[in-house]
Amino acid sequence: MIPQQVIGISILLPFLVALLCLVKVPRLRSLLIIGTGIILSAASFALLKADPVSFSPESVLGMNPDVLIALLDFALLFVILYISYKLKSKLLIALSLLQILPLAVLEIFMHPGSGSTAPTIFADQLSMVMVMVISIIGSLICIYALSYMKKHEDHLHLPVSKQGRFFFYMILFLGAMNGLVLSNSLLWIYFFWEVTTFCSFMLIKHDETEIAKANAKRALWMNMLGGVGFVFALVLLQAQGLPLSLQELVAAKPAAGLALLPLALLCFAGFTKAAQVPFQSWLCGAMVAPTPVSALLHSSTMVKAGVYLVLRLAPAFAGTLFSSYVALFGAFTFITTAVLALSQSNGKKILAYSTIGNLGLIIACAGINTPAAMSAAILLIIFHAVSKGLMFLCVGSIEQKIGSRDIEDMRGLVSRMPWTTVVALIGMVTLFLPPFGALLCKWMAIEAASKLPLVVIMIALGSAITVVFWARWAGMLLSSTWTEKQGFTEYMDLLVRIPLALLALGAVVVSFGVPVVYSSLVLPVVSRYYQTGIYVASGGGLFNEIGVFAIYPVFLIMAAGVVIASRASKKARGRSYCTPYMSGIQSADPNTIGFVGPLKQWVDFKAGNYYLKNFIGEEKITGWINLIAVGILIVLLAGVL
Amino acid sequence: MELKTFFLIILAVVGAPIIGGLLSGLDRRITARVQGRFGPPILQPFYDVIKLLGKQKNIVNYWQIFCVHIYLISSMLCVVLFAMQSDLLMIFFVMTIGAVFMVMGALSVPSPYSQIGAQRELMQMLTYEPLLVIVFVSMFFVTGSFKIDDIVAYDRPLVLVLPLMYIVLSFALTIKLRKSPFDISASHHAHQELVRGVLTEYSGPYLAIIEIAHWYEVVLILGICALFWTTSWSGMLLLLVLTYLAEILIDNVMTRMTWRWMLTYVWGMGIGLSFMNLALLYAGSF
Repeated sequence: MIPQQVIGISILLPFLVALLCLVKVPRLRSLLIIGTGIILSAASFALLKADPVSFSPESVLGMNPDVLIALLDFALLFVILYISYKLKSKLLIALSLLQILPLAVLEIFMHPGSGSTAPTIFADQLSMVMVMVISIIGSLICIYALSYMKKHEDHLHLPVSKQGRFFFYMILFLGAMNGLVLSNSLLWIYFFWEVTTFCSFMLIKHDETEIAKANAKRALWMNMLGGVGFVFALVLLQAQGLPLSLQELVAAKPAAGLALLPLALLCFAGFTKAAQVPFQSWLCGAMVAPTPVSALLHSSTMVKAGVYLVLRLAPAFAGTLFSSYVALFGAFTFITTAVLALSQSNGKKILAYSTIGNLGLIIACAGINTPAAMSAAILLIIFHAVSKGLMFLCVGSIEQKIGSRDIEDMRGLVSRMPWTTVVALIGMVTLFLPPFGALLCKWMAIEAASKLPLVVIMIALGSAITVVFWARWAGMLLSSTWTEKQGFTEYMDLLVRIPLALLALGAVVVSFGVPVVYSSLVLPVVSRYYQTGIYVASGGGLFNEIGVFAIYPVFLIMAAGVVIASRASKKARGRSYCTPYMSGIQSADPNTIGFVGPLKQWVDFKAGNYYLKNFIGEEKITGWINLIAVGILIVLLAGVL
Repeated sequence: MELKTFFLIILAVVGAPIIGGLLSGLDRRITARVQGRFGPPILQPFYDVIKLLGKQKNIVNYWQIFCVHIYLISSMLCVVLFAMQSDLLMIFFVMTIGAVFMVMGALSVPSPYSQIGAQRELMQMLTYEPLLVIVFVSMFFVTGSFKIDDIVAYDRPLVLVLPLMYIVLSFALTIKLRKSPFDISASHHAHQELVRGVLTEYSGPYLAIIEIAHWYEVVLILGICALFWTTSWSGMLLLLVLTYLAEILIDNVMTRMTWRWMLTYVWGMGIGLSFMNLALLYAGSF
């Protein structure tokens, strides 16, 4: 198959299947979604083999695609305007109009794209990476959602199933994301951008609780603020005679004065989508949505659209002061969200803050704007998507079983859900320990940032905090005493087990394959924009002039270590086990932990983590963080002028 | 693999615990003399470990066993990577594996002492980790590389260029060695409110493994200190001896502090000194 067809399938198939999902036959829907997942994954592999492709489709569904996109754009914006009107929100109405009017001016009076020969579709390795993340991880999450949503609705006792609508938006979203990352025309990207905003809004308010509605509204206005920035960037580009397509725009290098403003506005749109501070609250609020939504939109893919756009534009502003501010902004998000995550005991919120932090690190890398930093950013997109998607799915399963998402309630989970616990541990370890990919990216980012003292200090502090909240969560899950009938059995739906197993396997295998992934997917992108300081993959590691990371040796030795350690731990026999020391008269039964205290009262074992709420509680510091973040944003945008 | 690297690896794996054990013995001996006691023989740490290895196994759950083994292997790997003159930051990250598994092992036991020790150990990690990264970055600032072979090749003793960074490093060193005033997560003696913190639930062979892993870590940290004087052997030796004696002295004259004090004081001092040292560097280069 030729790449053009593959790209067509990746974008158009989900749009079609989404409509079919509305048919109220659950079994058919399941088959449809599994089938779509397989086709999309296969398509993303097929695309991978191809060299970079660019072309302009002549017609889509018998229409000129530019006209089609423009029409759909207005249709979508009017739908959003109608929703804003129904919600009686003046802010939302204003933000809708601020997009409709400039877009109308642009489309009707300024004739965008007339005389331009730039291709509307462009797929290089960065796009292919994104398509793989969206198509494979996205599909796995959708398949997991089949079982999850059934339990979810059983739990809520819904009279009428809303799953048709749910999967309509989930699958539609996959198509929109593929469209976003495969488009070269900024007008197209803008359309898909708005579709993802809309899907996100509809999915956050899916459960229709008061809090869900309120949070969905917040997500909508914050994302629309970015949309407004996007539209104005388009108008400004057109007014200055700059190309309205990504590759041509980056090649034009509009890095001086007023020409930089549209780039800054596009980056601003990226920041809102990636929920960077001060916009972090929409992503945290989005955690009320069913967990597959959090996994798909709010960690693996949609928020990545924001960093994708910034990464795409980064070579255009390399070496400017603006770039350094972007690095500072990203690093600030990284450290502040790490602090906020440290103060949380809500598992999903920890994941949300850590997601924002990782996106901040990617944006910081885009701002550092060296080949090493860009490599780190692209790799981090992959590794974060796999491991964080996995973590969200694990927390979803845990929540459905124990009825809580508080990590304190997950103490000793290993004795209740051993299989899920081990998978979650793999998810966590691949997010913050070597030799796994996410840590490799952090290593690259620190080495790349080492010429910018303020940025590197923020990354170093943030990364140490990250270690703390992951290590304690991982440790708590294992809290247990040895008992005779300890087994490793756990009932689990196959549609849940397969996505979890595949993602866990993927997290480890892709990390091990970093040298290959790097040379085939990252190097071609990075070497197109930069000449020096590029990492080389050889001898099972990555190296450049200033650093080296021996991936295979560390991987193999640690793998051997895991084998030795698990053999040693299996060797211990029943009589080797005892109960923990309590400094008092204690029970011999390993199931009752505690001791006889003063007045012969039995004292149970209790434990809790340091959350430091008095120092870094969310409500205490969020205001200050937002204030500083707004300050950096103003300097960032004003500095351009 | 070259024969030389192979021998170097063997030397690191075998030599490091011997040096670490001897240092620990010397440490105990000097500490005893400072306190007016005679002290144990220098080889006492080895006798202790051998005895522990022969004791009956006693453990609460198998995750603990898993965690101590990972701790040992990651410490060994760090020393090997150091001997092979690899990337400093990478070694640091591998060291994190061990520290994290140590904490996970402690958290896996429903024991109040081990739990509180683990929480405090996390705070200790939080304190020293960024400082170590900053020290490595400042070494990069001067030498232009994170690779140890390039740093060794630098033509001036780093301690003269980065004197304040050496102080920052020694903070990190003291915390990592859990010496007073930073013996917050696990005290040397079990007759305190913490019992033995993170180490409370380990005994017999497993405690021996932790002890050996700790020796590797001591050697690694002294190795990093040694990078601050690579132009002559005598200079390096002098630096290391002075550093270790200072550590023992501080350990003996200080009392244990709280983790709140540690975090604010050490971060404040560490970041302040780092910026000052960088400013000095810039001033010098003008």
